[in-house]
Amino acid sequence: MVLVCLTSLAASAQEAAGSDVARAVRALESEWFEAQARNDNRTLDLIFDNALVYVESGRLVTKGDYLLRVRSAKPQLEQIVLEGTTVRTFGDTAVVVGTYLETGVKDGKPWLKRWRFVDTWVYKKGHWMLVAAAAVPVSK
Amino acid sequence: MEHVWGQAYVSKDPKALERILDDAFVNVDSDGKLQAKADVLAEMRTSTTLQVLTESMTVHLHGNTAIVTGVFLIKGVERGKPYAQRVRFVDTWFYKNGQWVSIAGLVTRIG
Repeated sequence: MVLVCLTSLAASAQEAAGSDVARAVRALESEWFEAQARNDNRTLDLIFDNALVYVESGRLVTKGDYLLRVRSAKPQLEQIVLEGTTVRTFGDTAVVVGTYLETGVKDGKPWLKRWRFVDTWVYKKGHWMLVAAAAVPVSK
Repeated sequence: MEHVWGQAYVSKDPKALERILDDAFVNVDSDGKLQAKADVLAEMRTSTTLQVLTESMTVHLHGNTAIVTGVFLIKGVERGKPYAQRVRFVDTWFYKNGQWVSIAGLVTRIG
C-alpha cells in the first residue's frame, strides 16, 4: 500500500489572483495520490485527460499504460509525502510545481528518494484535467 | 518554437529566449533543480552546449495550451571533452497576447 501524507503546502505570489484555482487543483493532486494508493482506476480515469503525457525517469507513459500499471500494482510498503507545491495560473491552465519524498524498504533496507515534479492542468468542460505530469529525482 | 528555443540557447541569444519564456516560466532540470526564467538565461550564458538535435517531438493541443514532449540529443564540449546526452522533455506552452510562450518545462536524462 502506498501511504500518502500531504504537508506544508506553500503559497506563491501567482496564487493570490487564482487562489480558488490553486485550491481546486491542489485538491485534485491529493485525490490523484489517494486514488493511486488504493488502486482506484475509476477516479484516476476521471482526473486524467485522455491525451495525458506522463514522464518519469526518462520514460514516456500514456494514460492507458499508467492505469494498467496501477490496476496490476501489488501492495508496496512505500510512503509518499508531498513536501510543498506552488500553483501558477494562466487563464484556464494551471501549472503545479513541487517536491515529494518517497520512502520504502527493499531487502530489509530503508531507502529514500526526493522527486521534483511539474504537473499541468487544463479546465475542460467544467472540470480540471491533468494533461501533463513529469518528475525527476533530485540530486543530492 | 521549440526549435527556435534550442537555437537561441546554442547561439546564446538572450533576446530570443526572453521572448520565448514567459516571465513566470519555471523549469526543472535533469538534476531536479528548480529554475526560474532568470536562471535559464544565466545558465545559457555559460552553457557548453553546441548542438540540440530533435530526435522526436509530439504536440498535444488543449485550447490555448500546448503540451510538447520529445527527445533531444544534446551535444557539446566540456573541459575539452565532447559529450552527447539524450534527454526527454515535457514543455507547456500558452498562447498569450498573440504569441506562444513557454510557461513550464522539465528535462530528464535517458540512459
